[in-house]
Amino acid sequence: MTATENPTGYKWIGTRPVRHDGYEKVVGKARFAADLDLTGQLYTAYVRSPHAHARVLSIDTAAAEAMPGVKAIVTGADFPDLDPLDPNYDVSINVMARGTALYHGHAIAAVAALTKAEARAAAAAVAVSYDVLPAVLTIDEAMAEGAPLANEENYQKFAPPGDPTNISTHTPLERGDAAEALAGADIVIEREFDAAHVHQGYIEPHACVVDAGLDGKANVWCSSQGHFMIRAVTAGILGRETSRIKVTPAEIGGGFGGKTTVYLEPVALLLSEKSGRPVKSVMTREEVLRATGPAPGCKMRVKIGATKDGELVALDAWMAYSLGAFGDFAGMVGAMSVASYKFPNLKLEAWGVLTNTPKTAAYRAPSAPHAAFAIESVIDEIAIELDMDPIDLRLKNAAVEGDLTAMGMPHPRIGFVECLEALKASPHYQSPVPEGASRGVAAGFWFNIGEQSSATVNLNEDGTATVLTGSPDIGGSRASMALMTAEELGIDVYAITPVVADTEAVGFTDVTEGSRATFATGKAVVEACRELIGELKIRAATIHGVEPDQVEWIDGAAHVEGKDPLSLAQITEQAKRTGGPLTATASLNAAGAGPSFAVHCADVTVDEETGQVTIIRYTAVQDAGTAIHPSYVEGQMQGGSVQGIGWALNEEYIYNADGVMQNAGFLDYRIPVASDIPMIETIIVEVPNPSHPYGVRGVGETGIVPPMGTLGNAIRRATGVRMTSMPMSPPKVLARLSENN
Amino acid sequence: MAEHRRFTGGEAVLEVNGATVGAVINELEVRFPGLGAALRAGSSAGINGEIHAEPEFVAVNPETTIYFVAPLAGG
Repeated sequence: MTATENPTGYKWIGTRPVRHDGYEKVVGKARFAADLDLTGQLYTAYVRSPHAHARVLSIDTAAAEAMPGVKAIVTGADFPDLDPLDPNYDVSINVMARGTALYHGHAIAAVAALTKAEARAAAAAVAVSYDVLPAVLTIDEAMAEGAPLANEENYQKFAPPGDPTNISTHTPLERGDAAEALAGADIVIEREFDAAHVHQGYIEPHACVVDAGLDGKANVWCSSQGHFMIRAVTAGILGRETSRIKVTPAEIGGGFGGKTTVYLEPVALLLSEKSGRPVKSVMTREEVLRATGPAPGCKMRVKIGATKDGELVALDAWMAYSLGAFGDFAGMVGAMSVASYKFPNLKLEAWGVLTNTPKTAAYRAPSAPHAAFAIESVIDEIAIELDMDPIDLRLKNAAVEGDLTAMGMPHPRIGFVECLEALKASPHYQSPVPEGASRGVAAGFWFNIGEQSSATVNLNEDGTATVLTGSPDIGGSRASMALMTAEELGIDVYAITPVVADTEAVGFTDVTEGSRATFATGKAVVEACRELIGELKIRAATIHGVEPDQVEWIDGAAHVEGKDPLSLAQITEQAKRTGGPLTATASLNAAGAGPSFAVHCADVTVDEETGQVTIIRYTAVQDAGTAIHPSYVEGQMQGGSVQGIGWALNEEYIYNADGVMQNAGFLDYRIPVASDIPMIETIIVEVPNPSHPYGVRGVGETGIVPPMGTLGNAIRRATGVRMTSMPMSPPKVLARLSENN
Repeated sequence: MAEHRRFTGGEAVLEVNGATVGAVINELEVRFPGLGAALRAGSSAGINGEIHAEPEFVAVNPETTIYFVAPLAGG
């Protein structure tokens, strides 16, 4: 279902062809990184820290090296020392510890052997002695005065030189006078919230195959969200020239932000060089959960004031994000993500805090779900207190073009109001709440980004086209590239072959992240197509003996007054006679990614004996700008919703007192399965982004922002209990119900 | 970002000359040592409603407001 602002009249944009890579994925022929085998390849096993924080006193590999089948072992000593200011420094330390283990599961050494069993046996024989250090596991511990350092090399960012600290960033944002506005408000609600670390839960573990040649050149096949990033970071960590590493993207079995960084490739490359053989490295599920990047946990305090008419007058919020053992910007981004409502007075203080837990990574709209959970919960409390419809309260305060985000920058054209109105008019919201159930509503925002993309469009002799881009397809982007090409050139979408090309076959392209691929790489595809159309008109003019400006390109053919139209295929078959092959490339650094809003609605029941929350109906509304392929927009909305539901109701890293994750497997770290959730109904709102030729806004991330607030609000209305701790799992719900009784 | 007021003695609004974001940062560095490096170390810039990841050569004029923000990536 779509609510279109501007009916487009496009021929291909907005249609739903079967994806070009669909057949191979459905029948199991698509090749993921772990599917590749090279003759003579070795297998890896890692030695990982058994402590959350420890000095590595010695690593003795002698016994392991002497074991059957072992061909190479690497430790931190095999890596070059980078300048601490090098942008790859932290990643380098994260892929292999140097002197200090910073979390349980931190890599200490890696073995390559002829078989997996031999590699595992040798890894177990590597003798490591540790001096165990105090571990900092929670935000409270990390921020306490005199707290031990989680990472002795961390310094506060954007601050004058100082001592090492557990603080990565401290972001105070302020406008107006929040204290005065709160003092004068008719109603003030304050709540405290917290959330555990959660994992992206991609089904495919990290995997790569690396073959280092004797000429110093290395071939890497891997699963990632950005193979140019893999090349750059691997080269940076190992001090190699970028051009000496070729990365070929394998299909990706889910990333969601978790595959925007490097774990295995530099290690496998060193092992391949040492052994002179190809090396295949595949993480176990346990390694994925213990040693790759979850989303941060958080603690938050949110106070919102409103008039009795429902006008929000002030927000006062304190937010802290636990980043794991390395600093990053998640706290700042969490503060920046406060952008949905026109708070005239705002006081916001956000912290990024280090703990001795795995280095966190992006997860769809990183940092925004935490902030939205807290703020949307308090806004719902205000709606309840004022007896206002929750959508009406949001409509009264919704940000529109020109309104300021928390960071101060005004919004461009956005579609938040349109999303709220679409939900209000939806069959779900218009239907009565089922007996025994309650309904919750919440909203979400994400910036979306542009960045660098390249595309090459080759027209083939028979009038078909091959479109090469450097954006790994994690959500149907190949189909989107083909649809935009079909619309531009005027040929059938199945006459187009979209290819995710390796690092030597297409221009540099940034990571598929920030919901950028269809926006930015799509822009590059459109630019290349438009250049080709110019050349096609020149060729047609040559064939007809007229000037190029007498040629019009309409619906896949060159039209000249008084002549029969020349189809694209008729021109390409004469390419040799009219000037040679027809190809065009475009590279750009795209600005103007349109922000995206979403509003969700859920009907739930709560079992008061078990605390189990059951979702009986769920609707997601989101502004896609223009939906190039509506099925894949809906897929992103549904995927984000389901992951958000898992985050809200079930998922959490459970650490013991020593910082050891207790549930490092999908049996105990429970992501939602099909039987847990109803069909996620979707409503695509289309408020075109003026900075894209077809109006595209990114859609991959915003959908994960509203579910936590949506479900918390539904539970509140079902039980009278405000859940403030994620996950809102049965034991926690039960405990709150007991407190309430 | 408000973090940067640590370098400016608390001043939040500054008038700075420069035809590009990079030139503005250079002048800020002269006036507030350390601020330029902090801005270049990890900031994006919001200019005319668009966020630029590498804003060094983005042109500005007397009406331009530059919002230095955290580097944005995504998931």
